[in-house]
Amino acid sequence: MAATQATPVKYDMEVVRWFTIAAAIYACVGTLIGVYVASELAWPFLNFDLEWITFGRLRPLHTNAVIFAFGGCALMATGFYIVQRTGSTALWSNKLAWATFIGWNLIIVSAVVTLPLGWTSGKEYAELEWPIDIAIAVVWLMYGFNYIMTIGIRKTSHIYVSNWFTMGMIVMITYLHVVNSMAIPVSMTNSFSIYSGVQDAMIQWWWGHNAVGFYLTGGFLAIMYYFVPKQAGKPVFSYRLSVLHFWALSFGYVWLGAHHLQYTALPDWTGSLGAAVSLAMIIPSWGGAMNGMMTLSGAWDKLRTDYILRFLVVALAFYAMSTFEGPVMSIKTVNALSHYTDWTVGHVHSGALGWMAMVAYGAMYHMVKKLWGVEKMYSEGLVNVHFWLATIGTVVYVVAMWVSGIMQGLMWRDYDEYGTLTYTFVESVSAMHPYYAMRAIGGLIFNIGTWIALYNIVMTVRTASAARSASAVPANA
Amino acid sequence: MDTQAMTTNDWLGVFFLLVAASGMVAAYVMVFRPSNKERFESQAAMALDDEDPIKLGEKR
Repeated sequence: MAATQATPVKYDMEVVRWFTIAAAIYACVGTLIGVYVASELAWPFLNFDLEWITFGRLRPLHTNAVIFAFGGCALMATGFYIVQRTGSTALWSNKLAWATFIGWNLIIVSAVVTLPLGWTSGKEYAELEWPIDIAIAVVWLMYGFNYIMTIGIRKTSHIYVSNWFTMGMIVMITYLHVVNSMAIPVSMTNSFSIYSGVQDAMIQWWWGHNAVGFYLTGGFLAIMYYFVPKQAGKPVFSYRLSVLHFWALSFGYVWLGAHHLQYTALPDWTGSLGAAVSLAMIIPSWGGAMNGMMTLSGAWDKLRTDYILRFLVVALAFYAMSTFEGPVMSIKTVNALSHYTDWTVGHVHSGALGWMAMVAYGAMYHMVKKLWGVEKMYSEGLVNVHFWLATIGTVVYVVAMWVSGIMQGLMWRDYDEYGTLTYTFVESVSAMHPYYAMRAIGGLIFNIGTWIALYNIVMTVRTASAARSASAVPANA
Repeated sequence: MDTQAMTTNDWLGVFFLLVAASGMVAAYVMVFRPSNKERFESQAAMALDDEDPIKLGEKR
């Protein structure tokens, strides 16, 4: 090693390790809460008449835990990893990275405390109250500043495409979070949005869809463009297409939010514009998915033995599927059936479980081996078990919600010959029960996989540490 | 189009739409220009170029 490189790069990877372990833990906890709230919908006695554990209190805790705790830690781990490796440099500030880790985890703890207590702004995916919103802005800016300064001190001339995706996410999430969270505080635990009526709804979904676009898509595409070539041992199929993918998503995604508000008080043309741009976005999204898939050209045989690569490839399949499904659902005629139904929930989870979690786990397994200097995971077989549990769990969940959602939509708008509704709302709720049970089972299957992953990662770390200690003994003796 | 009725917000919206559309066109031209092909594609293997092992317990 030293013979081939004149000045070995010293990386700041300890903080990346901690973010990686934290992500693995939060995935277990976040999806477990999801399983519980899904079970509450199927078997309402699970509320136990305790307001702190009702669906309304725990559902935002579930979404915050999986998006910001699991997803956030995975993004920060991979972001700090990729920017150092592709820039051949250490972080601009290791201390700032540690402050980011501590700050981000304190925010997660504050969410765990405040959301079950019902302290919420009531804005979806932005439920936390104003003092925590300010803390999020500060910690996010610390992460972003450190990341961009690390780009500034890189030793390579080119900025790799993954770093562009991450920088796009950092800039846009800062802008979106600050604007959407503008509120007038009335106490430490209560505030009101500065926007009202339809403007409030528009701002909310401008944030909501762009959190999907720049955080859950852009951020995780950064992971895909680094770890798919890495794991496949092949260069990106078309680097030009990856550049186009980045710019097309950056220009296009900001227009989509209005498609969440079809058939509302919002001016009709805004929803139509949102739907039109949504359909146009299929082109770059599928271009990116194909680019990832084609990177495996000549290496498809690796899928038989490389279980980590399976995570990454199946993630790309779900990415392609959900970026087609979303635009279709935004079309007004389809939206008239799908909106307010469980179809939306199924769509979100095909993206969250199938794309986001799968690509994150592929990256996490890859990083754990590199960060702890081992050739293999503690159990490659358990990686395979996790892969199948994650895939089957996702499919069971999504199929249940597809059937449930379409059935809901059809029941709600069915009229008899006299022009009155055929079904009462309660009848539609009752008809959902088998699918809600099926959804909870699908989620449970996925959740079991996350615990297996955590066990495997912890055992890999322990085995690596033990091996390091054993090899250090003769040297010290 | 009744330009007299357009507010400052309307004009700003038109301006930013044109900036975004122009930027998108510029990105397409830049990426698909044949003379830029080699410059872009030479970076395709960049992720594979950092195979040096990460030292355990590395701290600054």
